[in-house]
Amino acid sequence: MSQPEDLSITLSTAAEQSASGVSLGRDAWRRLRRNRMAMLCLGTLITIGVLAVFTPLLPLAPPDKHHTNLQYEPPKFSPLFEKTFDFDWKEVEESQNRIAELRQKLDSADKGDANKIKMEMENILLRPYRDAGYPTVGAVSRWMIRARSHVFGDINLTSLAGRDEFGRDLLSRVFWGARISIVVGIVATLVSLLIGVTYGAVSGYVGGWLDEVMMRFVDILYSIPFIFVVIFIITVLSDEKIKSRLQDMGIDRITIFYFVVGAIYWLTMARVVRGQVISLRTEPFIESAKALGASQSRIIALHILPNLLSVVIVYLTLTIPRVMLFEAFLSFLGLGVEPPDVSWGLLANEGIKVITPIKIYWWLIVYPSAALGVTLYALNFLGDGLRDALDPKLASRRS
Amino acid sequence: MFGRTLFLILMFVAGLAAVGWAVYGSRLPPADFSFTNETEVATVDPALATGQPEMRIITSLFEGLGRQSPKDTHFAAGAAEKWEISDDGRVYTFQLRKNARWSNGEPVTAHDFEYSIRRLLDPLTFSRYAYEGWYLVNGKKYTVASELATGDRVEVELNQEPGVANTVRGKLLLGKLVHKESSGTKSNSSAEKGGDDEPKQDIFVVDVAGKEGRFKVAEATDSVPKNVERCRQVLLDFREVGVKVIDDYTLELRITNPTPYFLDLLAYYPFAPVNRTCVEKYGSPDWIKPKNIVTNGPFRMVARRLRDRVRLARSDTYWDRSNVKLNVVDALSVDDRTTAFNLYMTGMVDWDTVPPAEVLRELLKEPRNDLNPAPQLTTYYFLLNTTRPPLDDKRVRQALSMAMDREEITRVATGAGEIPAYSLVPPSMPGYHKQECKPFDPAAARKLLADAGFPEGQGFPRIEILYNTDQAHQAIAELIRKQWQNNLGITATLRNEEWGSYQDSIQQLKFTVARRAWVGDYMDPNTYADMFVTGGENNNTGFANAEYDKLISDAAKELDQTKRMQLLEKSERMLMDEQPIIPVYFYVSRNMVRPWVRGFYNTLQDVHPIRDIWIDRSVKNDDPRPNEYMEPVK
Amino acid sequence: MTWFFVRRLLGLVVTLWVVFTVSFLLMFAVPGGPYSAERNLPPEIEANFKHRYRLDLPWYEQYAFDLSRDLTGDLGMSSRLQDYSVNQVIKEGLPVSASLGILALFFAIVLGLSAGIVSALYRGSFADFTLMSLATIGIAVPSFVVAGLAIMLFVFVIPIFPAAGWGTLRQLVLPSICLGLAYAAEIARITRTGMLDALSQDYVRTAKAKGLSELMVALRHALPTALLPVVSYLGPAVAGILTGSVVIEKIFAIPGLGWHFVQAALQRDLTLAMGLVLLYTVLLYTMNFIVDLSYGILDPRVELK
Repeated sequence: MSQPEDLSITLSTAAEQSASGVSLGRDAWRRLRRNRMAMLCLGTLITIGVLAVFTPLLPLAPPDKHHTNLQYEPPKFSPLFEKTFDFDWKEVEESQNRIAELRQKLDSADKGDANKIKMEMENILLRPYRDAGYPTVGAVSRWMIRARSHVFGDINLTSLAGRDEFGRDLLSRVFWGARISIVVGIVATLVSLLIGVTYGAVSGYVGGWLDEVMMRFVDILYSIPFIFVVIFIITVLSDEKIKSRLQDMGIDRITIFYFVVGAIYWLTMARVVRGQVISLRTEPFIESAKALGASQSRIIALHILPNLLSVVIVYLTLTIPRVMLFEAFLSFLGLGVEPPDVSWGLLANEGIKVITPIKIYWWLIVYPSAALGVTLYALNFLGDGLRDALDPKLASRRS
Repeated sequence: MFGRTLFLILMFVAGLAAVGWAVYGSRLPPADFSFTNETEVATVDPALATGQPEMRIITSLFEGLGRQSPKDTHFAAGAAEKWEISDDGRVYTFQLRKNARWSNGEPVTAHDFEYSIRRLLDPLTFSRYAYEGWYLVNGKKYTVASELATGDRVEVELNQEPGVANTVRGKLLLGKLVHKESSGTKSNSSAEKGGDDEPKQDIFVVDVAGKEGRFKVAEATDSVPKNVERCRQVLLDFREVGVKVIDDYTLELRITNPTPYFLDLLAYYPFAPVNRTCVEKYGSPDWIKPKNIVTNGPFRMVARRLRDRVRLARSDTYWDRSNVKLNVVDALSVDDRTTAFNLYMTGMVDWDTVPPAEVLRELLKEPRNDLNPAPQLTTYYFLLNTTRPPLDDKRVRQALSMAMDREEITRVATGAGEIPAYSLVPPSMPGYHKQECKPFDPAAARKLLADAGFPEGQGFPRIEILYNTDQAHQAIAELIRKQWQNNLGITATLRNEEWGSYQDSIQQLKFTVARRAWVGDYMDPNTYADMFVTGGENNNTGFANAEYDKLISDAAKELDQTKRMQLLEKSERMLMDEQPIIPVYFYVSRNMVRPWVRGFYNTLQDVHPIRDIWIDRSVKNDDPRPNEYMEPVK
Repeated sequence: MTWFFVRRLLGLVVTLWVVFTVSFLLMFAVPGGPYSAERNLPPEIEANFKHRYRLDLPWYEQYAFDLSRDLTGDLGMSSRLQDYSVNQVIKEGLPVSASLGILALFFAIVLGLSAGIVSALYRGSFADFTLMSLATIGIAVPSFVVAGLAIMLFVFVIPIFPAAGWGTLRQLVLPSICLGLAYAAEIARITRTGMLDALSQDYVRTAKAKGLSELMVALRHALPTALLPVVSYLGPAVAGILTGSVVIEKIFAIPGLGWHFVQAALQRDLTLAMGLVLLYTVLLYTMNFIVDLSYGILDPRVELK
C-alpha cells in the first residue's frame, strides 16, 4: 500500500535547487540533451504517444472484434495482411440521415424525451463502428477510422502478436490500450497537479495561521489509506443507480478514476510547492519586484509560477507511472476500465490469468507487460534525467 | 557512530525475530488430506451458513438426523437409526441412536434437535435458511411474527437477564394473543432514515394465564407507553410447530404437505443439531471458536485460521469413528483459482475443487487419472429483471434468449465440456421431462424484437449484465454482450461486483440482467421450480404469475408422483415461455482428485462428504487403476 | 523530550478522531447496508439484523455509539466475516502481514541500497544502468505480473519454492521478494539522489582529500547522510507494508490484512473498514514517530522538540 508521499523526498531536492535564474529552462535542456539515456527515453515516449494518438489510422484489426474459432491463436506473420472484419459504409451514410431526422425531432421534444433521443442518436452514430468491432469512439477517432478505411479498405495487419480468449487481435488491443492507459496517467496527474499547485501556492504564499491549518489538514489526509478510499469511492459510485445516472452524464468509471486519484495524489504536490513558494518568497528577485511596486498577482504569475515549473515537470514524469500502475492494480481487482475499452493494465491482468503450469500463452503477457514496462521505464528514467538536468549543483559537480 | 550502528542492528534483529516468532507460532504438522476450499468460509454455524465451502466443513463437524450418502447424496442414517413415515406422508418419526455423543460427552438426544430446529426458525438467529424449516407445520408462522392472528397461542419472550450470553432466551410467558395494536407512531429511527419498509411497532395484547398483558418489542433502555411491558419478541407458541419430542430418543416431525424429498432436505446442513450447553455458555459467535465448539460429527475443529485454513481432526466421540479413516484434514481458503491449481500441481493439496477453465480445456485434451467431468445438478442462468422496461415485455425476453449462442459459450468460455442448457431443470431428474425454451435463432430473435418495437435494436436502451467478480463469469458475460450486439444490434455493458454486494443487488432487483447458478438442494425438480413463485426467496426476477404459483402449490400437495411431475413440467413450460430467466449451461464436475484419494464419488450435487474419504498410500501419482471418482458415470 | 512525546500523543488522538469522523461520514453516506445474503431475509429478520448492528439508529446516535465503543479498544463485529470481531481479524492478520512486510523490506533495503550506492558512485556506467533498471522493474511492471512470472519460474521451471501458502519461512521468500521489488526501486532512487548530494558536500570532499579510499568515504561519510531521506521514506512505507498487499496475498494465498482492506471496501463491511483505517492511522503515526526518533539517533544535528 504505497503512499503518494514517496515522491516528496526525491522532489524536494530538485525543488530546493531549481529556484534560480531565468535561463534555467534553456540550461536544463542543454544538460538534458547531453544525457543520452534520457533523450532515448524521451524519443521512445514521443513515439509511443504519437502511435497512440493515431492508432485508429493504422491498418490494425478492430480491438473488440471476436473470432472465437481462433481462440488463443499464437502470433503469426504470414500473410502479413488479411481481411478479418467489415466496415459497413452504407450504415455510416444511413446513420447520417437518421440522425438528421432525429435532430429535427429533438427540437420539438420535451426534456424527458430529449434525453432518450440523444441517447438514440449516439447509438445510431456509433453503431457501424461497434458492429465493425471498435469500442466507444469519439468524433476524432471516428474520422480517423473512416480515413483509415478509405486508405486501407478492410485490410489489416495479421495477428502479429497473437490472439486472446475471444480471438481478438492482441496487437490491436495493445495499441488501443495505450490510448486509455496514457490518458489515464496524464489526466489524473494533471488533476492532482491543479489541486496541488493551487493549494500549495496559496498555503505557502499566504503563510501564517492559514498555512498552519492547511498543512495540518494535509497531514491528516495522509493518514487515511488512500487505496482504501479509492476502492471505496469507486465501489460506491458503481452502485447501479448512481452508475447509470453518471453514465447518462457521460461519466464512466475511468473518469471517476481520474478525479479520485487526482484528488489524492495532490497531497505531495501541495507540500512540495508550498516549500518551494516559501523559499521563493524570500528570494532577492521577488523582494526587488515587490520593491518596484509589482502587484501580488503579477508576482505570482510572473515570478513564482515559472519557478515552480521545474518541480512540476519532474513531478509529472514521476507520478504518471504511479497512476498507470495503480490503474493496473484496479484492473487486477476487477475495478479498472470496462469492456469494450482496454487498457494495458487490463491486458496484463488478462494475460497473467492464462499463465498456468499447463499452458503458457506467452504472448498475452509479454506484449502488454512490455508496452507498460517500456513506457514506465522511459518515464522514470526521463524523470531522473530531468531532475539531474534541473539540478545545477549536481550538474556542475559532474562537469 | 557506535550508537547508530547498534540502533540499526537492533532494528534489524528485532524485525527478524518478529518474523521468526510469527512463523513459528503458525506451524502445524502436515495433514493426511488437504483440499482447496475456495474462498474463506463465512461461518461454520449450521443455522447461519450458506454456500458450498461452508457445507464441506459443517457436514464434517455436525451430523443431522441423516447425512448425505457419498455415492448419490440421498438421506442415509445419521444421528437417527431408524425412521418411519406415516401413510399420508405428513408425519416422520425418528429413532435416534443411543450411542451418538457430543464431543463434550453428552448424549445426542431428541431435545437437541428440537432446540436446533427452534433456533433455526427463531428470527433472532438471523438464519438465511430459516425457510427450509417452513415445510414443518406452522414453521413459517413461527419465523414470521406478522402472520400471527388473534386467538393464536403465543410465547412472549421477555428481555434477557443481564449478563447472560446473547444466545440465552429470556423468560417465556405462554398465552393467547388477544389482539395486536398498532402503536401508530413509527419509531424515531425509521422516520430519520426515511424507511417505509420497516415493520410498525406493534403492541401485542396477550392473555397469559387469564391475565391480559400488553407487550412491546423494546430494549430495557427504550421508552414504552404506560401499562406496556417490554419484551424481546412475541412468537407463535413453539408447541404449535410440527416438532415434538416423544422421548429422549424419539423425535416426531410433522409437515404441512406430503413432501417426497423431505428426508433429503433433513440431511442438509441447516437441520444439523447444535449443542445447547455450548451455544448458551459462550454465545454467538464465540461458541464456534475451535476452543469452545462442541460437535457431534465425524470430525472436530482443531484450528481455524482466518483466510488460511480450517483444520479438522477425527472425533473420538463420534459413534461411527471406526469407519472414519482420515485423522487430520486441512481445508485451505484459497481465493485465486490459479493459485489453488498451482497448489494442486505442486502436490500440496489432494483435491482442487474449482480449477480454472483455461486449464481444464488443456487438461482434457489428454486422458487423465484425476479429472472426470460428469453432469451435475447445477444450472447456470441469467436472471432478467421483469419489472424493468423493456424487459417487462415477454417478446424482448425471448429475443434475448434466442439471440444467445450457448454452444459458443460452452466451447469458448467454460472449458470442461459443460452442456448447453435450454431448460432450467437439469436433464438428470428421474421421472421428469424437462421443458425447453426456443433454440438459438438470430433471425427469429430479431423479428421478435422488432415486434416489440425495436427494429434492428433501434431505440433499445443500454442494458447492463451483472456478475460476481470471477474470470469465468466475465468471459461468459463478454461473449453474450457481443452476441446480443451482433445478433440484435443492442448495446450491453458489464458490471462486476464482489459476492456480497452482488447478492445485495440481485436481492433488491438492482440489475437488468444478472448471472446466477443454482445447485439443486435435493433430487427433485421442485428445487428449481419453487424458486419462481411470486415473492420467492430466490425468485430475483420480479416474475409474478398466479397461475404459476398455483401449479407449484398444487404440485406440493399432490401425492401421486406422476401427476406431481406433470404439474412441475407444466410450470417449467410456463417459465420457459415467459422467460424471466435464460438458461445457459449445465455444470459438469470439475474436481481434480489425486488417484490415492478413495471414497470420493462423482455426485450430481457435487457433494463429497469428507467422512467417507480415505487415502490409499499404495497408489502412486501415475497409477492407471481408477479410483471411485474416475469410474465412468452412467 | 517529554514535551515531544506528549505533543505527538495529542496529535495522534486528534488525527484519529478526525479520521474516524471523516470515515464515518463517508461510510454513512453509502447507499445499501452491510447486510446481505444469498437468500432474501424476511422483513422481521432484517429488522432484527439492523437492530443488532445498530443500523436503525439515527446517524448521530450511531456515531456516538461507534465512537464510544472504539474508544474502549473494541472495534466491533465484522459484518461479512460473521464469526469474527474486527479485533480478531487484526490479531490474526497483522502478524502475517507484518512478517511478510518485514522480509520484503529487508529485500528492498538490501537491493535498493546497493543499487543506489553503486549507481551513485559509478554514475552513468553500465553497472549504474543495470542496477537501476533492475530496481525499476518494481515500479515499471505491475506486481501481479512480477508475482505470476516468478511463480512460473521458481515454482515450476526451477522448483525451489512452494507455490503458495503460509506456515514456513520458505513459503515467505518468494512473496516477500515480489513485494519488496516495488519498494526497492524507490529506495534505490532515493539513495542514489542522497548519495550524489552527500558526495558533493564539503566534508566528504575533505575526507577524500585526506586520502581515504573512495568506497570508505562513501560508506563512512556520505552514506549516513544519504540514509536520512531513505529513513523518512521508510516511515510511511512501513505502515503501508505492514497492513498488507492484496495482490501478493491473493496470488500467494497468504492470510494477511491486505485482502481485508480491499474486501472491506468492496463489500462495504463498514465496521471492518473502520477498524482497518484506524489501525493504519495508528501505524502510520507510530512509524513517523519512530522516524523522527531515529533522526535524532542517526543525525546528531537533529534535536527533538
